[in-house]
Amino acid sequence: MVTRLKYFLSETLQNFKRNVLMSVAAISTVAISLLLLGGVLILGMIIGNVTASWEAKVEISVFLRDDATTNEIRQLQSQVTSYPEVQEVTYVSKQDAFEEFKQLYKDQPELWEAIPEDSLPASLRIKLTDAAFTDEVASRIEGAPGIDEVSYGGSIVRRLLQINSLLRSITFAMSLILMIAASGLIANSIRLAIYARREEIGIMKLVGATNWFIRVPFMLEGLGAAMVGALLAGLVVIGANELLFSRVDDVLPFMGPILSFSFGDMLGVVVVLVVVGGMVGIVGSVMALRRFLEV
Amino acid sequence: MIKLVDVYKTYKGGIEALKGVSVDIDKGEFVFVVGPSGSGKSTFLKLLTKEEEPNSGEVYVAGKNLANLPRWRVPYLRRNVGCVFQDYKLLPNKTVFENVAFALEVIGRPRSVIQRQVPQILELVGLGEKLDRFPDELSGGEQQRVSIARAFVNRPLILIADEPTGNLDPATSVGIMRLLDRINRTGTTVIMATHDHAIVDSMRRRVIELEHGAIVRDQSRGIYGVGT
Repeated sequence: MVTRLKYFLSETLQNFKRNVLMSVAAISTVAISLLLLGGVLILGMIIGNVTASWEAKVEISVFLRDDATTNEIRQLQSQVTSYPEVQEVTYVSKQDAFEEFKQLYKDQPELWEAIPEDSLPASLRIKLTDAAFTDEVASRIEGAPGIDEVSYGGSIVRRLLQINSLLRSITFAMSLILMIAASGLIANSIRLAIYARREEIGIMKLVGATNWFIRVPFMLEGLGAAMVGALLAGLVVIGANELLFSRVDDVLPFMGPILSFSFGDMLGVVVVLVVVGGMVGIVGSVMALRRFLEV
Repeated sequence: MIKLVDVYKTYKGGIEALKGVSVDIDKGEFVFVVGPSGSGKSTFLKLLTKEEEPNSGEVYVAGKNLANLPRWRVPYLRRNVGCVFQDYKLLPNKTVFENVAFALEVIGRPRSVIQRQVPQILELVGLGEKLDRFPDELSGGEQQRVSIARAFVNRPLILIADEPTGNLDPATSVGIMRLLDRINRTGTTVIMATHDHAIVDSMRRRVIELEHGAIVRDQSRGIYGVGT
């Protein structure tokens, strides 16, 4: 067993060295195609951040009638809080509403100086776990006692949700297409590398090497090339994050939160690249070998 | 050692390579398979390593019916059947030593065995001084010797040679035949397909003649062709 392991490793390394050109071609193909994939994954993350930040701003305001009793308000609040889709319910008193209004229009005091402090209605502000539930929750609350109006910018929220889901589908489709394209490219370059050595494989069959004995060095080689390529792509991705995205904050502060990714997020992208690369490397080698092993 | 019973082989294009071939070859025999190109010689040899399978009939090698041999056992069959070809089939980027060692490595022999047996066999074929040469630095005859060393290094029961002298001049061919004869004397069954009249006539061994896929002559101590 140890002899075999030694054979496999030394054979794999020798093949790498002897076929430098092919190895370099395979590795760079893997690196470039995985880099594209990584780019799309990051684009997907950016779009995810953008849509999430939009959706986080969606909330339902339930305006209360002036004659609503404390009991009615308390009951409504606890009922709404019990909905599983609801994340948070805040009570905004008349006083709070007026303060907010003052804050909002602090440059135009004529707007609020003339009106009495209790002219704005009290309300419940509801934050949801997912903006997609807005319509449903809003219609459930409507008609409850003590309510004047339920407001949530219905059609705008709906449009926003549509755009967001479209954006997400597009990035998902792009990642999928690129993943398939990358797999095809990697498998193809492995096939070329194996084709260049079909004679050697024929002789191995001739002298009675088992198929697995022939396969393993090729699989390790495919895996190795793909992993090196994936690591190169991963380094570029992390480098781009460190050098570019983390500096965006200084120049365009409002873009900061959208373009900031934790090291963990980046590591996730790199892991995806390495796993995809490695799997395609192994599977590609086995598939490409199949033709030459039949005899 | 080898037995064919009423073997028929038709290739996909409809070419009938063998038509009802039955033959019995004992352990330790030296057999020439002769006949014009396309008479079925190569197909006959390929049946013995299960490179091809017959459409009907049975092929026995070392007492085993090859039809019952599962795919994964085929490599183990081939370890008992050494093969030599007209075009040597050496790996150009490996040295003489490495080419022969390769045959042992891929069947999982330990390094110590390889270090001992490879120089031994290369000495036997007369290339003890050229272990570190590459194939393109050798003459055709020398390359064929390396190929024979590779086929024989793990002492197979059977050695198959498909026109081993086809690319060599008569003097060199004689050397190759001496080598095959020596190998045969160790008890290895040798089956050789050839076109070479002079060789067959001078060796006076069993001759099986094929024509259009059928055996037209099977003669012990024969010559290449009656009247040629």
